[in-house]
Amino acid sequence: MIKESYNTAEEAVLVKAALDGNKEAFGDIVTKYQKMVARTVKGMLGDSIFADDIGQEVFIKLFYSLSEFRGEAKLSTYIQKIAVNLTLNEIKRRKRFFSMFSQKGNNEMYEFEVADQDNEERRDSKELVSKALLAMEPKFRIILTMRMLQGYSTKETAEILDLPLGTVLSRLSRAQEQLRNILEKL
Amino acid sequence: MKPSEIKKMLISSLNAGTDTTEISGRLEEEGITFDFKNGFRDKIVEKVFSAGLTINREMEFMRSVNFAFNRIALTGVAAIVLLLISIFFMEGSLSFNSFLGLSDNYDESIVSLLTGN
Repeated sequence: MIKESYNTAEEAVLVKAALDGNKEAFGDIVTKYQKMVARTVKGMLGDSIFADDIGQEVFIKLFYSLSEFRGEAKLSTYIQKIAVNLTLNEIKRRKRFFSMFSQKGNNEMYEFEVADQDNEERRDSKELVSKALLAMEPKFRIILTMRMLQGYSTKETAEILDLPLGTVLSRLSRAQEQLRNILEKL
Repeated sequence: MKPSEIKKMLISSLNAGTDTTEISGRLEEEGITFDFKNGFRDKIVEKVFSAGLTINREMEFMRSVNFAFNRIALTGVAAIVLLLISIFFMEGSLSFNSFLGLSDNYDESIVSLLTGN
């Protein structure tokens, strides 16, 4: 089971304590959700040091917007939305930046880091997934990230991306078509 | 897991009715997962609680300034290079007079231009 979430009461206590300046409480929120954020950010941007910076920005932004969190949605959904927005903004920023300097895509900057370097097969598998993700258009990449890495349902994906369910369904089939073409070449 | 199996799994994760929780779980078991570097939590807690309320705005501001500087600097350099090339072709040199557009004028003609005589 990949999805992380506290029960609402536990979340409310942690959020309140963090707002009161309790370092441990905020640290607990970071620890609990950092893998979830890493999957989104690194799935979208590649496994690079830049992704770590965006990950930090996600939690810093979370801290300063915690007072606006009313507990109507799950904290995980709230964090996920921040991660998605910051990641998509970064992709736009990079696109503009790289279009100024080079005709090449920015994917060349990505490096693949694998936890277990000795395991050739695992490294190849992770590299395959990362390459497939980075070759996709960002609007399809985010859908694949939410589904494949986060394990979200279609409805949850639509909620996090703030998209109508119909749009997500149509993007799913277009993303699948694009992914098939990409995987044929990998 | 063989690459062909992973490919199948990736494609099936985009079927609307697929149970993606199982797919993401299997991929994680295969080591296909992401995390931040060690000390990530400590870095964030330190940044948030030591730097005060301005840090987030400062970060956004610095990123925007960097981005704007890159754009402006590159465009400016390109404009200067174009200007130099065009001056060189039009005036035949890059002297100070060429910059001022005075290379073909004699003092007398400037006096006549200014006085109208």
